[in-house]
Amino acid sequence: MLIFENIEQKLLNLLKFTGSPIKKFVSTGEIEENIDLVSSRKEQLSSIIKIIEENENFILPVIADVGVGKTHLFWALKHELYRYNVVYISLENVLRKFYYNTYSEFIESMGVEVLRSIVNRLCNKWGALERKFGFFHVADIEKVRKIAFEKWPSQFESKMAINDIIYAVTTHQLDPYKKVDAERWLLGELMDIRELSRLNLMHDLREKNNAFTMLKVLVENSMVNSVLFIDDFEKIISILKTKDEDSEEFFDPSWLYGNSSPEKYNAEKTLDKILQLHKIKGLRIIITLKSQEFYEEIKRKIEEKNNHLSFLLMKPVYLSNFIEQDIFLFYKSLLEDFFRDINYTEYFNNFKNSYFPLKESNLKFIFKQSKGNPREILKLLIKTFSKIILSKERFGKLIE
Amino acid sequence: MKHINNFVLYDSMRELKVNGEFTGSIISKCQDKIIISDNIKISESDGIKISQGLLVGFEKNRDKMTAFSKTLNFHFHDTKDNLLEYSVKIPEETMEKYDQGQFSNDFPFTINLLHTAGLLLNVDDFRFRINHLDFFKGEILKNPVSLILKGIIVADRVVIDHNGDPVFYDCLIVGRDENDDLNISYETIINVDDTVVEFVIILGIEELKM
Repeated sequence: MLIFENIEQKLLNLLKFTGSPIKKFVSTGEIEENIDLVSSRKEQLSSIIKIIEENENFILPVIADVGVGKTHLFWALKHELYRYNVVYISLENVLRKFYYNTYSEFIESMGVEVLRSIVNRLCNKWGALERKFGFFHVADIEKVRKIAFEKWPSQFESKMAINDIIYAVTTHQLDPYKKVDAERWLLGELMDIRELSRLNLMHDLREKNNAFTMLKVLVENSMVNSVLFIDDFEKIISILKTKDEDSEEFFDPSWLYGNSSPEKYNAEKTLDKILQLHKIKGLRIIITLKSQEFYEEIKRKIEEKNNHLSFLLMKPVYLSNFIEQDIFLFYKSLLEDFFRDINYTEYFNNFKNSYFPLKESNLKFIFKQSKGNPREILKLLIKTFSKIILSKERFGKLIE
Repeated sequence: MKHINNFVLYDSMRELKVNGEFTGSIISKCQDKIIISDNIKISESDGIKISQGLLVGFEKNRDKMTAFSKTLNFHFHDTKDNLLEYSVKIPEETMEKYDQGQFSNDFPFTINLLHTAGLLLNVDDFRFRINHLDFFKGEILKNPVSLILKGIIVADRVVIDHNGDPVFYDCLIVGRDENDDLNISYETIINVDDTVVEFVIILGIEELKM
């Protein structure tokens, strides 16, 4: 029978075994974050959700300094808006082949079953499931394509893209022998000319117009609304901005490219492509920026390019650093998440009313040192826990 | 799965008639033939009209019986001696189940006959009997229509099992129960002893496309 258990010592021993409960200080779009937003940010989250629910097409800038939690906001939105397709892209990764990469991210987020159901519904709309004599589905693939061609042209600009997409969609649904290849095309796989000609297609989805049109088809025909979260948006502006006069350069790019440079040209093109997304009905875009200065710059750029599109850009939402109260809740959530992961939830209940192994004063000190920046807080917490775990000094003395 | 909805539009045995114009999926029995149509118009003054319905059955052709399916307009006068036995409209939710059960588009190893042909015909006169069940053993044949003793089966496909009996998949069944009331049922699979089958006809895809 266990008469006494030193639960605090047990926790310290456990931490020595598992390592620091906080493993990372940077949030990414790939690894899911389960930590809830701190209370001071709940209001901002609600206001963003309100904007998403009340508007169809917009670009909503979220402005926050480095490490404040812009990417973490994406995960909070994704959890909260479970009835939406919330798709994350980091602009750094999709600067080249923007539409193709964005489409791929949508497919990854939505899954192949959703794509199949969209394609099936489209074919039904074009009469593929019309019943002859009230019973028999005798789909005439050519007739279905003809109806599709009659229905679609007004909605899309590129005739070649419409042609490819209608052929791929109808082949997927009505030609069992080519279904697998057609699905590969719809999923965005790269295909050689022989595979494409077998499907009667001109290009795969690497072609800009095909990828854009397919993205439009996917978003507009999905049963749920879509939100595109573009992280690191200021990347475009930093490329577009002229370089510092004092910076040292071995050769002047203007000798080769005139006033522009390949990077600038690419950045301009990507901005144009992002602005083109307003043609996709119902696509809500959230962009993250590091400062107000970038926002002003983006605003000016959009006005320069097309003044009519400036209505798309909404009033920015500002994310600020944590307030002191947040760090306590944040710390608790982090530990709770860690103990849940290692299946020690019940044991952690013993520490519900304390901040063990830290003290309130430690957390206050960390908050002060980090000035409330969540990333800095995480860094300091990792450092503190590492000290606790690795140090040979007595715990009591160490924590003082 | 049995339906007790009001699906019977006309039943000569029960002297039941619902006046009006109906569209959807309608099965009618006319003597030993079946009419499949997407419309029917029933009125007191003009009798019963079916426009562009598919008549399925066997006809005597010199010294042999030939299966056929013809698209025709039908007009039955409202007299007791008219040839139409009954007309039923399959409920839409049953048709949705029937649609979901079809798999031809995804499954390429199904035999679609170009022209309508008889797979089985059981008649008293053995000279006219047809039985191709052994020939198609293990094959999947698309669009079978069958007349059983008291009922009709319209199925998506039929497979002949190792006993030589037809197994219908994704089928709509119309028939009379012990009280001679008409009933409609949807079954995903039904095994029928070939001795109780009056005929099985495989509809030709050309006739359906026309």
